[in-house]
Amino acid sequence: MSGRDPRWDVGPDALKKISEPGGKCDDPVAPPSQDPPNPAPSAPDDGAVQVQLNWFLRAFGNERWQFITIPLLSILVSLIAISIIVGVMGSNPINVFITFLQGAGWIMKPVYAGGFGMLSDLSNTLAAFTPMLFAALAVTIAFRGGLFNIGISGQMLISGFLASVIVGYSGLSSFVAKPLVLLIGIVTGAAIGALIGFLKYRFNINEVVASIMLNYILQYAVSYFINTRYLDQISRQSRVVSPASTLVLSGIYNSKTHQLMVSNSLPSVLKLGDIQFLVPICFVLAIVLAIALQFFLKKTRLGYEIKAVGANRRGAHYSGIRVKRTILVTMMLSGALAGLAGVSYYLGYFNSIQPDTLTSLGFDSIATALLGAAHPIGNIASSFLITTLDTGGTYMQSMMGVRQEIAQLVTGLILLFSACSAFFRWRIAISRQKAEMRAYEAAEHDVDTDLVASSQGGDAA
Amino acid sequence: MSGVNTIIIDGLALALPLLIIAIGGIFSERSGIINLALEGLLGFGAFCGALFAYASVTLHWFSPHSMIPLYLSFLVAALGGSLFAVIHGLLCVKFRANQVISGVVINILSVAVTGFLTSQINVSVFGGPSSKFDLMTAPRLTIPLLSRIPVIGAIFTRFYAFEVMILVLLAIFWFILYRTRFGIHLRAAGDNPQALDAAGVGVARVRFTAVLISGALAGIGGMCFAYSILSNFSAAIYMGYGYLAIAALIFGNWKIMPTFAACLLFGLAQSGANQLILWLKMDSSVGDLAMIVPYALTLILLAFFSKHNRAPRALGEIYDKSKR
Repeated sequence: MSGRDPRWDVGPDALKKISEPGGKCDDPVAPPSQDPPNPAPSAPDDGAVQVQLNWFLRAFGNERWQFITIPLLSILVSLIAISIIVGVMGSNPINVFITFLQGAGWIMKPVYAGGFGMLSDLSNTLAAFTPMLFAALAVTIAFRGGLFNIGISGQMLISGFLASVIVGYSGLSSFVAKPLVLLIGIVTGAAIGALIGFLKYRFNINEVVASIMLNYILQYAVSYFINTRYLDQISRQSRVVSPASTLVLSGIYNSKTHQLMVSNSLPSVLKLGDIQFLVPICFVLAIVLAIALQFFLKKTRLGYEIKAVGANRRGAHYSGIRVKRTILVTMMLSGALAGLAGVSYYLGYFNSIQPDTLTSLGFDSIATALLGAAHPIGNIASSFLITTLDTGGTYMQSMMGVRQEIAQLVTGLILLFSACSAFFRWRIAISRQKAEMRAYEAAEHDVDTDLVASSQGGDAA
Repeated sequence: MSGVNTIIIDGLALALPLLIIAIGGIFSERSGIINLALEGLLGFGAFCGALFAYASVTLHWFSPHSMIPLYLSFLVAALGGSLFAVIHGLLCVKFRANQVISGVVINILSVAVTGFLTSQINVSVFGGPSSKFDLMTAPRLTIPLLSRIPVIGAIFTRFYAFEVMILVLLAIFWFILYRTRFGIHLRAAGDNPQALDAAGVGVARVRFTAVLISGALAGIGGMCFAYSILSNFSAAIYMGYGYLAIAALIFGNWKIMPTFAACLLFGLAQSGANQLILWLKMDSSVGDLAMIVPYALTLILLAFFSKHNRAPRALGEIYDKSKR
């Protein structure tokens, strides 16, 4: 707001009145160019000054809740846009959204194939969710530190590959293998992250370029080793890793006898009433890490330093923060999270690696993280949303006959509108200011006339 | 044809399309708008151009063997690229979006939209389920006398016509950026937008124009790849050349001529590594290792050359009149 703040003109009493919520909510989106402010404050009840915020501003104008309300607004707008597209193509948008949820296991499907149930779909969604959340957190921590880790895919690939080679093809028992896989994921990812950070502070190589180059180098190097040594001739992918090393357990739930069985791999024969599902081991770890990351950024010294470097590198330097070390640590943390994403993707959601491709998850996670407002807790919500659209897409296509690419389009549009969140926030702040200014001007006018009236009264006395 | 010739011929065929995309990136970034969207823009541009070329051949808009659709498709690709760049421009200039997010979103959206439309149009217009538009490969030209010169002659041998076009565009856009009033405005918008505003030029308009130009150039580059390496339009167009162009322009310190050198380095290193494997008669799986060469070489060279690299000062900042 420019110019003088009219609040000081009306005194604390008026301030109290202004801050009171309420007022009529009948006017539409605050029209700035309408008639000049009403000279007499149009207050129906004993002349109190009230800021007339309409419902829209009251719902979305509260800055404390904007971190959740603004993404919700973006999602709402994009769902409307998608409904229109789907409607034009001749399908019922409500049904499309329902089939998305059914496919992802949030709602019951009408019919299930033998051995499958809602639990199967839901657990599949959670297994896809886990690497997405790790990857989104990796983007988030780098982003908070003012860095942009576009190399998540490459870091995921090398972590998954090394874990497969070292543990996945060995005969280690699951109690040794699973922690070892996690450890390899963390260490490999952190090492690549550290390399990027080192190149940045030692040689001033832009981290975007370094990670793009490393993406390609890792992709081709891993492809070479898979193609020459670890290739399964039939699937044209790397050989399947041992069930003991995967981070996803297989479970059987019998809906008739209510027996539950969880093991490394599925039994070969299913009994009647059996429903198979997955147990993503890292799911809880991912959620816990998201909360821990929030605590880390908010309450610890290192977290504060990372944010300070992200906000203003030079300012952080002058306040005594070791910027180079912080950059290195940020990239290491980001890489470690990307490594976790890699092992929970290649040795969890999948159990082999396709050569010559980088997973698009690494790039999608950038958008997921930003949909979650680069806020660790927000990432949990946005990862749920994006993976639901992803895993529900196949079923949606088979039921509605709408092409599966529409799932990608939904994701893209949600991200597009969430990219506008700064604009929404800015517009809302402006409309709010205008509404407040009008109320203040009215109040000011009121006080002026009061003053005039009282001074005239004094003269007369 | 000797191996050295092949290196030069293949190297140029890769380097020049990369260059035109990178010049697009330079225009956007010198005006202060980070452009990670190049990948999506080149894809959408190529989609539009390929759709036009495919439709004109299939629906017989021109006489058979006519070269007009080939040339027009580049124009259509440029228009398509800048059309898609409007989103980036609106988001970054008007809607105050984070420019990095906007770029990533446009890439995701471009893959989704072109994939969706390609399948849909193939079914509903051309009546066949397919996820690509087949194109011919652009014809190659050889200049009779000059191509006889040893080594250098390779430059004039079996080159695509679009390579000449790119060199012409290189000269034009170099001139625009460094020798015209608009170029100065554009560079000022990226380095000191306040000064530009004080001089009475609209920062938003300059930046928006720059983003449109970058979309058009990226679209042309994408069309080149569709005509040369792929000879069709499909999802394979998104193989990361947009990101590679970004790397090239940062390597080139946001200047056109050093970026040209960076692109040449990429192209020649790639084709050189491929030739090396042929000479040594190694197994084709080693090809993966050869592909590493240009990227690793870039990373090593960057370690020597990026000490004095400096991005445009206001790169990535949303221009706010009231800020000082």
